[in-house]
Amino acid sequence: MASPVRILTAVPICDGHDSAINTINLEFIRHGIEVVYLGFHRYVGDIVRAAIQEDVAAIGISSYNGGHIDFFAEVVRQLRRAGAGDIAVFGGGGGTITFDDARLMKRQGVDQIFFAGTSLTQMADYVRKHYGKPRKKPATKKNRDLVLARELTAIEDARGKGRKSEGGSRKSAKARVIGFTGPGGAGKTTLIDELVLRFLQNEPTARIAILSHDPSVVGEGALLGDRATMINSQDDRVFMRSMATRGQAGGLSPATESCLAHLTKADFDYVIIETVGTGQEALPFRSKLIDQTVLVMNPDYGARLQLQKIVMLDVADIVVVNKTDLDRAKAALSEIEHRLTQNKRKQQMVATVAKRHRDHGVDELYEMISSKGEK
Amino acid sequence: MSKLGAVVESVEKHEKFVLDQVKRARTDENFGREMTERWEKIKAGIPTSRAPTGLPLPRLALPEIDDAGEIARYLFGDGLPGEFPYLNGAYREMYLEPLEEIEIGSFAKDKSAPSANGHGKRNGAKPNGAKPKAQLQEEPTRLFSGLMLAEDTNKRFHFLSAHQRSKRLSTAFDGPTLYGIDSDADGVMGKIGEGGVAVDTVEDMVRLYDGFELGAPNFSASMTISGPAPIIMAMYIAAAKRRFGAKVVPNLRGTIQADIFKEVQAQNETIFPTEASLRFLCDMIEWTTENMPRWYPVSISGYHIGEAGSTPVQQAAYTLSNGFAYAEMLAARGVPVDQFAPRLSFFLDCGLDVEYIALSRVSRKIWAIGMRDVFGASPRGQMFKLHTQTSGRSLIAAEFKNNLTRTAAELMLAYMNGTNSCHSNSADEPFTTPSEEWIRLAAHGQAILLEESGIFKHTMNMLSGSPGMKAVERAVEKAILDEFREIESLGGVMGAVENRYQRSQIQNAAHRYEEQIYDGRRPIVGLTRYRDPNEKPPVIELARTPRKRQELQVNRLKKFKKANAGKAEKALSKLAAVVESGGNTFPALLEAAEVCSLGQISTRLQDLVGRFRPMV
Repeated sequence: MASPVRILTAVPICDGHDSAINTINLEFIRHGIEVVYLGFHRYVGDIVRAAIQEDVAAIGISSYNGGHIDFFAEVVRQLRRAGAGDIAVFGGGGGTITFDDARLMKRQGVDQIFFAGTSLTQMADYVRKHYGKPRKKPATKKNRDLVLARELTAIEDARGKGRKSEGGSRKSAKARVIGFTGPGGAGKTTLIDELVLRFLQNEPTARIAILSHDPSVVGEGALLGDRATMINSQDDRVFMRSMATRGQAGGLSPATESCLAHLTKADFDYVIIETVGTGQEALPFRSKLIDQTVLVMNPDYGARLQLQKIVMLDVADIVVVNKTDLDRAKAALSEIEHRLTQNKRKQQMVATVAKRHRDHGVDELYEMISSKGEK
Repeated sequence: MSKLGAVVESVEKHEKFVLDQVKRARTDENFGREMTERWEKIKAGIPTSRAPTGLPLPRLALPEIDDAGEIARYLFGDGLPGEFPYLNGAYREMYLEPLEEIEIGSFAKDKSAPSANGHGKRNGAKPNGAKPKAQLQEEPTRLFSGLMLAEDTNKRFHFLSAHQRSKRLSTAFDGPTLYGIDSDADGVMGKIGEGGVAVDTVEDMVRLYDGFELGAPNFSASMTISGPAPIIMAMYIAAAKRRFGAKVVPNLRGTIQADIFKEVQAQNETIFPTEASLRFLCDMIEWTTENMPRWYPVSISGYHIGEAGSTPVQQAAYTLSNGFAYAEMLAARGVPVDQFAPRLSFFLDCGLDVEYIALSRVSRKIWAIGMRDVFGASPRGQMFKLHTQTSGRSLIAAEFKNNLTRTAAELMLAYMNGTNSCHSNSADEPFTTPSEEWIRLAAHGQAILLEESGIFKHTMNMLSGSPGMKAVERAVEKAILDEFREIESLGGVMGAVENRYQRSQIQNAAHRYEEQIYDGRRPIVGLTRYRDPNEKPPVIELARTPRKRQELQVNRLKKFKKANAGKAEKALSKLAAVVESGGNTFPALLEAAEVCSLGQISTRLQDLVGRFRPMV
């Protein structure tokens, strides 16, 4: 099976008009496209970095607040400077991008502008037709992110064709691998992003890789939206890759293990994996590469009986109870603590409110995970 | 349970109360007579209007009913204009021409004198015998405007208000300002002065309103900004003080949008985490309602919810529930309801969907009932004071001159709903910040409707209460209450926001809307129907900010920062201390606004409380 077309969409800096792009994203997914959505109010640098790391075929920019000529040109310029000029740039802005503007923008290297009145299907068809071809040239060796990103794509593509690539053999001594899982809505993404902020602030040279997973819609593409929420992780020291599950159950992608193995050999201090929202029976992390597993829950798991069914509670090294500002938190914390005591393993529990700035619970979790004290 | 559940109950209780009164009027003879006598008295007190043709008309039209039960249904269920629950209007006479002016006309020789119940007076004008001089009401027209640098927008303000008795300026800010970013920040060149005016400092604010008497009764400024609203508010006050001294502050009139909930739900122009934003907002509301009694410190807005693609019912339901959530927060802080409730105002979108026939009418009613019965507000705090804007989303780039007709139809709906003020979009808005040519046509559309045509100036209730309108009212009210119940089940507005309930509902509606355009269920003239195959791209005068102007803004800002460097750091440290201590931040913001740029303040605040984490 051929790999899905993969693109990145975003709205420029100082622009919050995301209604059009949200609608277009949904339509792209229906047409089998994997969309990494970076969100609104995004700097050129963030867009270009994300496009390179995610190794997309094209960037779609939806601009309604003016300044599009400068903005699109800067995206093209920075892509070329990074050796990624083969990533196409397209976009639209309703009526705000005029025909004259579009002509000028195309001369500056923009591939296509869709005007007001273009139907959703026309756009999706264009993207599938023009951005679905394999790349002609290998990446320039100068750009570390670009090389790594294209290697990961090769691994994913090989998996898609049923080939097994490299196995999970040796890893570098340096990388600490942490797996995050838990039910949807527990706040995993926010929690990881808050941890990244602490890594970046406290460990001035640390480099972090993140493998983030979102489900593929059955028979369709996927909306990979974690980057939009992970504001602190859009940083030159963070390499983030959004992976679609591409039909595999259990919260990870068929290529996760191989990609993880590859990342652990690269020069990262931390490699973080986030599964999609999982159910009670899920045990997503069987890989020997993972040093620590973190189960993130929120206090709303229902009756106490439900706790007994959550298999990850038996194996997680750390259990995070997030959203402890909710009413049920106190009861939940004591129920979970009781359950962990019964396990008689050295499991740690921590209460967090990840959405809160400078939350002490997240500080505590950071201390449990950081390797900085060990060396 | 949040107060929203109580609001649902109060509306249901009120509907039951109305039915009980209907029944009572029919079964209890004394009460029935009381109703009939009251009705007769109201009718007898209605003065006569004269159309220019001489046709006499009542200034207030009422349904032709004489059954005591129906009278009770009307008086309790709808209310006369200006009376609870304000279905027919927040005020008694809205857009009517002053009576005195009409009475001077050649046809004024009959007995239609103003009645004792005061229906003839408005705006304090007294009919004092010999030569009464009518005091003209202020125009409800508001045109939103902002482009390039402060002096450019100032020039447009003077152009727009040149012929208006009252100077009502409505300000649009550029992207960097809306996001609290300075013009000299990396990566915003190209965005400066685009889509609105660039404001970085108190000096820009002085330039922006130069030549206008900020403390005068016939002046008001409206500022459409929410994320950094408290900072911008502080800059406005600082600018007013620079020009007119501290004594001007209590006289300042205007509105600042400052609606954080709708930003998080739809418009995405917010910069701090929601709780922190709400704290800064409530700090500002508390301070302004105490010190600037004529200011509206929040405009609870459905416009952007509608523009992001919601259905009209979603728009009204989310807007009203956001309003009740603000009321709940302010009440919880101990601000007296009669201090804040009269200073809450609303802003709705008006498009072409059939719901708009009655959407604002129903909103006014639900707000009044909830504020009276759940929050204990007095009549001034029950009134849903509404600004309407015609729908930008409904404007189409293809054969764009049709937008004049779309806007005209929407204006008609907005005024049928008794909006207190209105902005009409320019036909060229799918392409650009409007040019003077099209903005003039947009403004004149309102004047034609209100001043030239006789639809709204002779008789109140001219178009209220048709069977069709009633049917829409019933359906819309039920649907809004259903939405309230859904939000309440998610833990109220805050809980629903965290579950991204409103966002996903709006996104789904937007997607459906777009599909309906292309599958033909939503015909768009000039695009999917009656399209001119030979249409050429229109020649549009674009408002773009030249690079040189943008650079000028950056240079001015740099100079300001250099001149105030020492003072700025001191003011920011003071602000930081207040943020950490949990006190009211607004007084410290007022001091900081004198010497700091917008970006300096917002960056310092973000260091302390964090940045907004977008929801997709």
